[in-house]
Amino acid sequence: MKKNTVIIRLMVFALILVVINMISSKLYFRLDFTEDQRYTLSKATDDILTNLDDVITVKAYFSEDLPTQLISNRQDFEDLLLEYENRSKGNIVYEFISPNESEELEAEAQQNGIQPVIINVSEKDQVQQLKAYMGAVLLKGDQKEIISVVQPGVDMEYSLTTSIKKLSVTDKPKVALLQGHGEPIIQEVSQLAQQLSVLYEVETINLTEKTEVPSYVRTLAIINPSDTISAIEFSRIDQFMSQGGAVFVAYSNMNGDLQSGRLSKGADIGLEAWLRGKKVNLGSQFVVDAQSGSVTVQQNNGMFTYRSQIKFPYFPLVNDFPEHPTTNGLEALMLPFVSGVSYTGNDSTVSYSPLLLTSEMSGLAPTPSGVDIQKKWTQNDFREGPQTLAVALEGALAGNQLSKLIVVANGQFVVNGNPPQQISEDNVNFASNAIDWLSDDTGLIELRTKGITNRPLESVEDSAREMLKYGNVLIPILLVLIYAFIRRQQYKSKKQQWMEGNF
Amino acid sequence: MNKIWIIARRELASFFDSLIAYVIIIMFLGFTGFFTWLTGNNVFLMGQASLQVFFQIGFWTLFFFIPALTMKMLAEETRSGTIELLSTKAISDWEIVVGKFVACLLLVIIALTCTIPYYATVSQLGSIDHGAVVGGYLGLVLLSAGYISIGLFASSITNNQIVAFLIALLIGVFFHLLFDIMGFSLRGAAGQVLNYLSMRTHFDSLSRGVIDSRDLIYFFSVISIGLTFAQAMLSRRNWQS
Repeated sequence: MKKNTVIIRLMVFALILVVINMISSKLYFRLDFTEDQRYTLSKATDDILTNLDDVITVKAYFSEDLPTQLISNRQDFEDLLLEYENRSKGNIVYEFISPNESEELEAEAQQNGIQPVIINVSEKDQVQQLKAYMGAVLLKGDQKEIISVVQPGVDMEYSLTTSIKKLSVTDKPKVALLQGHGEPIIQEVSQLAQQLSVLYEVETINLTEKTEVPSYVRTLAIINPSDTISAIEFSRIDQFMSQGGAVFVAYSNMNGDLQSGRLSKGADIGLEAWLRGKKVNLGSQFVVDAQSGSVTVQQNNGMFTYRSQIKFPYFPLVNDFPEHPTTNGLEALMLPFVSGVSYTGNDSTVSYSPLLLTSEMSGLAPTPSGVDIQKKWTQNDFREGPQTLAVALEGALAGNQLSKLIVVANGQFVVNGNPPQQISEDNVNFASNAIDWLSDDTGLIELRTKGITNRPLESVEDSAREMLKYGNVLIPILLVLIYAFIRRQQYKSKKQQWMEGNF
Repeated sequence: MNKIWIIARRELASFFDSLIAYVIIIMFLGFTGFFTWLTGNNVFLMGQASLQVFFQIGFWTLFFFIPALTMKMLAEETRSGTIELLSTKAISDWEIVVGKFVACLLLVIIALTCTIPYYATVSQLGSIDHGAVVGGYLGLVLLSAGYISIGLFASSITNNQIVAFLIALLIGVFFHLLFDIMGFSLRGAAGQVLNYLSMRTHFDSLSRGVIDSRDLIYFFSVISIGLTFAQAMLSRRNWQS
């Protein structure tokens, strides 16, 4: 064959491949093998889009000349919007606008609440700062929802679907946060309030000022109270429950303080007795779990000071969840200084479900005592088995009407505090899921926990861990060496046979 | 097909009859095992039931080992003249190239199979996402297949093994690293094209657990272009000017 012919054939072949790749970038399919179908639109999104009764316009403000890594973000968002448009049967319409094109468009983007992101790009051997827009505004009539920055990955679907949900729910049910007893205000539970705002209007309620919990409230949340709740307030809560209202309680009757190192029984604020009336008993000891979160400890070694992470069994890390809508898709929750909770009722009209369980290696630590961070924990400290940290009850809990109650034996797990501190996504997800379940609206549970990637390893003893580490490195190598040895022996014996004339 | 399989089996047997297969597999297991379990961001330090640590180590280890595996495949045949002997048989150059490709790929798959204990251990210790594991292994296999075809092409253009190794590494560096870096620093269509050419982009996509037709077509394109060019270079002794 002639050299030129070969070269032409190779070039044609390469060209065909280029064309195939170009076509495939437009016509493609994806198979999502992830356990939670993380990269496929969830049923919650599908339901919300199918039930849309009005057109929602999405104005996506994306700069044209973005760096490559952000172009894929724009492409992903466009792909997602196209799928939303198809599934909503045209009720989602979208357009892409480049704010960098003119000052008017840039002003429009900023007016709509889209703030530019400053990105460093290197161009012509110089680092330049680029003003990039990557946000979207959703419009329905005179209502508006803003996604100021479109985050790549799973968050993209969550933020888009929740924004659509916010626009499509016209009359949001109410969730009330009880106030007046040292509970955190809305700003101090900002992560939870933000999540709840998709489906609900969150408001505060002070039962010393009101004669009853308003009937429009779907769920009353009592989060981390520290002062006495009066009997009259409890009777108002009972009255609310007797009319079918649901109550979420996150409270621990124990006090654990890492700063002072003191562990003690908390003051009696009356909540424990009220819960006892519902056959829910809070424990009087701290639950400790070998499977736990860590604390940062500053250590001095001669001239050097360094920080290290030490496992702290007073912060149980829960990743064993009984089957229940509130725990669907959760991976791990951390509950600092928590007591146990149990249900002792035997009324067949009330159904009871444990929601959070500690690991097999759990124990109980008595009070009052001090916290010793450096304590060497042994197996003897974890002999009590799994402890229940949250329960759900459903039935005639006050009066004859069907009512729901969830009790979490920890008040801090969902509090951001002031100044706010970021808390684990799953802690917030669990509280939101619980309120969704209490309010009979479980639509977003699946989407909320989609893409949670925390899959903690079980804790193993040091000796077992070392064995696993070295075993995984050495055993495969050893097996290969054994195979090499056997093959060598077989070869030798064959060679011997040949030399002896046995072919 | 039968001839390809015969060549692949013979090549694979010759790997295991010499020290090459054992050295490659043991070094691969040693490196990946050391970095996955003993040092750096190892599995226990990350504390997550995931094999992402291993896939990232494997991504780098295979990049260095595959040129070492492929460097002699065609270069040695050309140097020693055994390629002429082979061409006297009723075997085409394409069958020779594909047979050797299959042998190398099988050796890599055997090496990857030896890491199944990693998966067994992590899945015992936590709730691992099996889909992501399947995607990660598939990504490593396709990545290896891409580098093997590049290695065979490099081995086909020279009769010196060291030169073949260096050429394979040089081409590989572009796909493995440089296209990625250039793609990120350039904007516009050029940046997009370079980003698309980067193996990392497609490998990362697969190792999430999502099988995307675009990634598959990319890998099959690299493989087929490498093998076609290797076959063309091997048959250059028959070219007429």
